[in-house]
Amino acid sequence: MVRRIARLRSGRLALGILLVVLVLAVFGPALAPFDPLAGTDAALAGPSADHWLGTDYLGRDVLSRILAGSTVSVLGAVQVALIALVVGAVPGILSVYLGRSFEWLSLRLVDTLIALPFLVFAVAVTALLGNGIPQAMFTVGILVSPVFYRVSRAAALTVSRSQYVEAALLSGASIGWVVRKHVWAKVLPPLSIALATTMGAGFVVVSSLTFLGIGVQPPAPTWGGVLASELQYLSYQPWAPLVPTVLIMLTVWAFNLLADAVRDVTGEAGRALTRPVTTPVAPVTQRTA
Amino acid sequence: MADDDIVLSLRDVTITNTADGAHLVRGVDLTLRRGAVLGIVGESGSGKTLTCRAVLGILPPRFEVSGGEIDLLGEDVAGLSARDWQRLRGTEITAVFQDPASYLNPSIRVGKQIAEVVRVKKRVSRKAAQAEALALLDAVRLRNPARVYDQYPHELSGGMLQRVLIATAVALDPQILIADEATTALDVTVQAEILDLLLELKERTGLSLIVVSHDLAVVAQLCDEVLVMRGGEIVERGRTDDILFDPQHEYTRLLIDEHNRYGLDRFLTLGTVPDEMKELTGVA
Amino acid sequence: MSPDAPLLQVADLDVHYGSRRSRTQALHGASLDVFRGETVGIIGETGSGKSTLARAAVGLISVSGGSVTIGGEVVTGFSDRKWRDFRRRGVVQLVFQDPLRSLDPDNTIGASLAEPLILQGRASRSEIADVIRTHLARVRLDEDVLDRLPGELSGGQRQRVAVARALVTGPELVILDEPVSALDSANRVQVLEILADLRASGVALVFISHDLGSVAGITDRVAVLYQGSVVEVDVTDAIVNRPQHDYTRLLVGSAPTLATGSLDRARRDELRSLVGAP
Repeated sequence: MVRRIARLRSGRLALGILLVVLVLAVFGPALAPFDPLAGTDAALAGPSADHWLGTDYLGRDVLSRILAGSTVSVLGAVQVALIALVVGAVPGILSVYLGRSFEWLSLRLVDTLIALPFLVFAVAVTALLGNGIPQAMFTVGILVSPVFYRVSRAAALTVSRSQYVEAALLSGASIGWVVRKHVWAKVLPPLSIALATTMGAGFVVVSSLTFLGIGVQPPAPTWGGVLASELQYLSYQPWAPLVPTVLIMLTVWAFNLLADAVRDVTGEAGRALTRPVTTPVAPVTQRTA
Repeated sequence: MADDDIVLSLRDVTITNTADGAHLVRGVDLTLRRGAVLGIVGESGSGKTLTCRAVLGILPPRFEVSGGEIDLLGEDVAGLSARDWQRLRGTEITAVFQDPASYLNPSIRVGKQIAEVVRVKKRVSRKAAQAEALALLDAVRLRNPARVYDQYPHELSGGMLQRVLIATAVALDPQILIADEATTALDVTVQAEILDLLLELKERTGLSLIVVSHDLAVVAQLCDEVLVMRGGEIVERGRTDDILFDPQHEYTRLLIDEHNRYGLDRFLTLGTVPDEMKELTGVA
Repeated sequence: MSPDAPLLQVADLDVHYGSRRSRTQALHGASLDVFRGETVGIIGETGSGKSTLARAAVGLISVSGGSVTIGGEVVTGFSDRKWRDFRRRGVVQLVFQDPLRSLDPDNTIGASLAEPLILQGRASRSEIADVIRTHLARVRLDEDVLDRLPGELSGGQRQRVAVARALVTGPELVILDEPVSALDSANRVQVLEILADLRASGVALVFISHDLGSVAGITDRVAVLYQGSVVEVDVTDAIVNRPQHDYTRLLVGSAPTLATGSLDRARRDELRSLVGAP
């Protein structure tokens, strides 16, 4: 699938941007020229040969803070997607095969999750598990998991009623075989689309939360955190919030571009199944941002 | 007017797709007499349906009769306005097609749909229209007309729906009925029922029929005269028996040969079935 | 099991569809025996229950009464696990009407053909390849179809793949549900010829169709299914030329034929009232 995506111009662009983001996430902290937490006397300085992006209100190097913060920001988004995948997609596929009672229970659970108000749930989880990025991302992951549940269940349901699954069963296939050999390939495309969209959304959520100071406590650097602190000194350095903003926007855009590309290469089936993905994610991001 | 007995005649009719200038039907001549049954046989793309649509004044967009003459009940249809067509269709000429469900409104009870046609076109009261609709459902030999009257299209089988469509088609006592692949999607016994019904209606009301099918055997069941169409032209025409037992054109021979090979014919010992039937009617 | 016992014995089978509130009965005490090596046609119209009969016989739908016996084993009431073990032996296979739906669009033809053998877990890779090649030849397909996807084949080729898939486990009985109905006449002939070969090879066949004409040519016996019951079973010639049940008479008398010309309408009407057609 990756090769087919790379054949699209939008797909190449998305993969390119995401590759850069990945490099930033892995090597960012090591590349930082200064200690992101060490202040200097030169607070709120403009760009210079030493500090390419200037310094913040405590005199910390902004470039170093952005580079150092990229790991947490990207990891957070990945965590959201993974949790949603495990909590949503796996039960979604199993709900078709594990019998009536599991189906009923999982459906009611998903309904409950959808009904939960985001902030209340987030606060409750923070109160229970403590305030930190993993806890916050766990919350977000749980809350977007219904999307994954529904997408994978819909795909699995269509496949389970198909004749080629009946044909496999007639040859003595077990449920595990059917899922591995027949269902998985049909669930994967819509799921990858949901995954890409969620990564984008998760990225916005991480940035929003850290912007609001939830999850990560200052002085630890993140993209959203840098943006927040720059915004406070907008009147001194009106251009300063631009860099973290563009970084966040580019990354999210790349994820959405990737989702579109996946949908384009997987054709009609993927297209029909993507529609529900975008709607439930949107309210979550709106509420947090 | 020359012959009072002729209800429809086509002379050298050519139908053209104005988009690309292709002549899809070329030089078709046919004559339908009052009370006669004319069959048109051909595969899809032979021009049989386009010819019927031209006669009904419902050619698809961009198609037009670019040559020849269509005479419907003594009127040249070339000069007819949309209003004239509205007057003619239903009251003088009508048709039933392959997919009856798509001609009915799924959310209105079928009886009401027939009654509405009767009420508007015949300008009678609702009550009279309802009574007439019931009579029509009975006339197409539905078992329980009163019940069918109150049913929705999705509650009826394909054969029942086609009966309802035929009831609607003959509601205004038209003179010509065109059945275009009207039995193609039906089971074989239901197909026979519909064909029998068409013949019965013809005998009772003096209706003239045009039966269009891809299946020579269907046409042979009830037509006096058969036209064989291929690629927009009539390749053979004649009395049904002549066509069946002494086909001249190789395409007609091919049709007959195919049927002999894959139809039931080769397994039937000639004459056995009618004997069985005779025996049965003797008993009953 | 005695050698004279039927290979497939369907006895008094009842099948219901739907929930408790709106139950419809699809099979109504249907019975049918199929013996080793014979070819039996099942003729019926839309809603007569012919597909239900096939699916119930292989355990794809649960039955509410009666029994199915295959090779002396009563399979009705099998647990999921027992069905799985039974099916892996590959004694009975089913061929569906539409091969485009019964072959996984994402799997190559080779993978689809290998699936039943891999599930059996007995043969090695090279043995499986050999078996597949043998059966491809049997349905007159070239080996180059193995790497292709179902969507890249013609309808006739796909149906032949579906037949080959049913044959790889060396079944004693193959049930074919309207195998030629979706095909044009040239492909229909080809598939019918393959089925005729198969019949000659001694595999028992059940050929389900709505069209008596296509069944009559290759069957030893024909069963007529009407409103969920088998109303008549006899040798093919007798069904076509000396039908006993009123519905069979109506069915034969309704088939459009050239040779007999117009059948008497009144006689058909008589039969219709006798069988209670709607």
